[in-house]
Amino acid sequence: MTHEFEQNQTDLLILGAGGAGLFAALHASSQAPELDITIAVKGLLGKCGCTRMVQGGYNAAMAVDDSIERHFMDTIEGGKWLNNQDLAWTLVNEAPRRIRELENELGCFFDRNPDGTLHQKAFAGQTFDRTVHKGDLTGIEIINRLSEQVWKRGINRLEDHRAVELIKARDGSGLAGVLMMDMRTGSFRLVQAKAVLLATGGGPTMYKYHTPSGDKSCDGMAMALRAGLPLRDMEMVQFHPTGLIAGPGTRITGTIIEEGLRGYGGHLLGGDKQRFMSRYDERAERATRDIVSRAMYSEMRNGNIGPNGGLYITMKHLDSREVRSRFKGMVERCHDCGFDLVGGDVEVVPTAHYMMGGVEFGADCQTEMSGLFAAGEDTGGVHGANRLGGNGVANSTVFGGIAGDAMAKWVPTAGVFREPDLDAAQAAIAATLYPFRIDGGHMPDIREKLYDVMWEDAGILRDAESLARAKGSVDDLHSELMRTGIADTGKAYNLSWHDWLNMESQILISKVIIEAAIAREDSRGAHFREDFPKIRDLENSHYTRITLRDGALNLSTQAVDFNRIKPGETLLDA
Amino acid sequence: METDQLSVSIWRGGDGGAYQTYQVPRLESQTVLDVVTYIQREIDPSLSYRFACRVGVCGSCAMTVNGKARWTCRTHVSRVAENGALTLNPLRNLPVVKDLVVDMAVFFDKWEKAMGAFVGDKTRDQALAAVSPSDPKRKEASAGIECIGCGICYATCDVVDWNKDYLGPAAMNRSWTLINDERDVARIPRLQAIAGDNGCLGCHSQQGCVERCPKSLNPTGAIAGLKRHTMKAALKGELT
Repeated sequence: MTHEFEQNQTDLLILGAGGAGLFAALHASSQAPELDITIAVKGLLGKCGCTRMVQGGYNAAMAVDDSIERHFMDTIEGGKWLNNQDLAWTLVNEAPRRIRELENELGCFFDRNPDGTLHQKAFAGQTFDRTVHKGDLTGIEIINRLSEQVWKRGINRLEDHRAVELIKARDGSGLAGVLMMDMRTGSFRLVQAKAVLLATGGGPTMYKYHTPSGDKSCDGMAMALRAGLPLRDMEMVQFHPTGLIAGPGTRITGTIIEEGLRGYGGHLLGGDKQRFMSRYDERAERATRDIVSRAMYSEMRNGNIGPNGGLYITMKHLDSREVRSRFKGMVERCHDCGFDLVGGDVEVVPTAHYMMGGVEFGADCQTEMSGLFAAGEDTGGVHGANRLGGNGVANSTVFGGIAGDAMAKWVPTAGVFREPDLDAAQAAIAATLYPFRIDGGHMPDIREKLYDVMWEDAGILRDAESLARAKGSVDDLHSELMRTGIADTGKAYNLSWHDWLNMESQILISKVIIEAAIAREDSRGAHFREDFPKIRDLENSHYTRITLRDGALNLSTQAVDFNRIKPGETLLDA
Repeated sequence: METDQLSVSIWRGGDGGAYQTYQVPRLESQTVLDVVTYIQREIDPSLSYRFACRVGVCGSCAMTVNGKARWTCRTHVSRVAENGALTLNPLRNLPVVKDLVVDMAVFFDKWEKAMGAFVGDKTRDQALAAVSPSDPKRKEASAGIECIGCGICYATCDVVDWNKDYLGPAAMNRSWTLINDERDVARIPRLQAIAGDNGCLGCHSQQGCVERCPKSLNPTGAIAGLKRHTMKAALKGELT
């Protein structure tokens, strides 16, 4: 059967409207105003993705006593030497310029010192106070200002559009375009483009407790993988120590309780209402994210838990007025949802926050497929084994801007409308409509099972046995998904259909995470193997690289190129 | 009295639609977003609603709850249920896509029309402006800057209901923050953009926007500021 679809053309198609996508659109339109630029987003422009949710801030070496080299060393040390050093170098070099662009050209206003100079705050894992911020709502300021500049420039918007598949050229020369679904009608359109940016964001939303926004389901990584592109460092999933836990029936579960509370003196308590962190680290609650998350997970595994299965954070031993004024946003959020952060014990749990891994790409944002560029959380290599707080929004905006510039330069010289492989488009539509042809099954069960498997067997603490179990379980869940259908009540804005498609992406990427975690037999950064608890052989660091060929995942390891600095060396003067 | 069931009536299907009623189990921690999620997952998979961030940052999930526009991810059921019942409609003043989902394009277009985008005269290669946080103009700008663009004020505003061309509270709130931003260089064109009956003069100071803003912003106050500034500028002949 032949499916109908519309066909459109645009010079430059951007998938995703977070920090990376919006910056790419602005840079491309400035560099090459003659280009027809289209930005597509799964929801509304300016409201999706995680840049908007950034609380902490943006790392940039701007202070007189700080340096690019120092930011670089913090990023590499934090990444446990797994980073692609050219990418990390590009990040730290461009970050200050991007902050000035955000302020001077786009209209952001970041917090100031009383004398009018930029305020930069301390953030974990860094040797200098370099985090630029706007209160604890930095992301809103950045995305609001980017969005209004995009609206102003007449860039085409495809809102409520889901990217379904990367469609290659019939002659195999590269990418021809992207098959999209207009979610409002459920109809398909093939958008042909000379260049495409993959900037959909990653988001470890397959874990029982997770922080990212609900639109994120690893679709970009899944499409890239299916198109034959390699994903690197996929075992590296960062957990934030404190997410709210209020049962499976509320979407508030998993969302962040900010890090600053522990820094300010907040205590973590077990189900027995006793502190426990000092048994794990002399810094107690102020230890780094990975250590606190592991300690909390151990307590939970030992059954020292509250009614919802979590632990507690409490501020009640501190000055309540001070807590209320310093953490206004967080206190209000908790209050709205029925929790008292000032005088009570709020149940919390470590929560999956960010994927360091992703599509391999170069410092000019090109991927190995001609015509496809990538930026933001869809990519891997910038952060290595762990991301510093404040380097996430720097990553999306720095590389988003670079991608916009690079595509604007590339399209006029090398970009052509390639003839799309229409058979591939037909096959992708058939695969997308698949759940309507199946009867039975219950989608929410699969989601809950996937949450549990990833959390328990491929989460904060892993070993060979748990990962083998996870691999079998996720394969089973994939089979179960293929036996689970969606009632055809109409295709317009059919959330249950999208839940199914999201689950398909999440299951595929879960398999990749598990495969990479099995291969890495040491513990570093976000990846902790109980059977290999030490970091091993730093000088011979390798990263994992996974491709999909004929339906099977292939793993290889690649040596990290220490082209700027080797373990044990530093770029800083003694 | 809290009951163990919540009776939820939802408007389905746009102009020619009807209410459909669902029984949803009450939970201790339960927001209105959780209620529609439960219905879609467990009772009626065809129900459409919009959400993204889950924590009151993105402004995607606003709808009309028992007659009032609210964000739903942070609206606890216990605070809004009346006699164990909720009535949900899409946001007013915006075209409905399906069920509780609206198209916000016109809201964003008006933000742009109100010149809600910054115009600076410096580049990325220049230093940041030194601006004291205690400067009165900066404080005025900061007071209105945390708008998340949820559209609640726009849906509540009767003037928008009467006059489809009226720019509305959120767009003009943004204009006002820019009028007070000493780094911005487009004051006069911006005042021209928001002058007149479709702009600040259209506001009747009913303050529905102020009452309903989940971020406790004051768009009516911002519009009053714009009125003063346009009048002064007009008297000086700057707006012709």
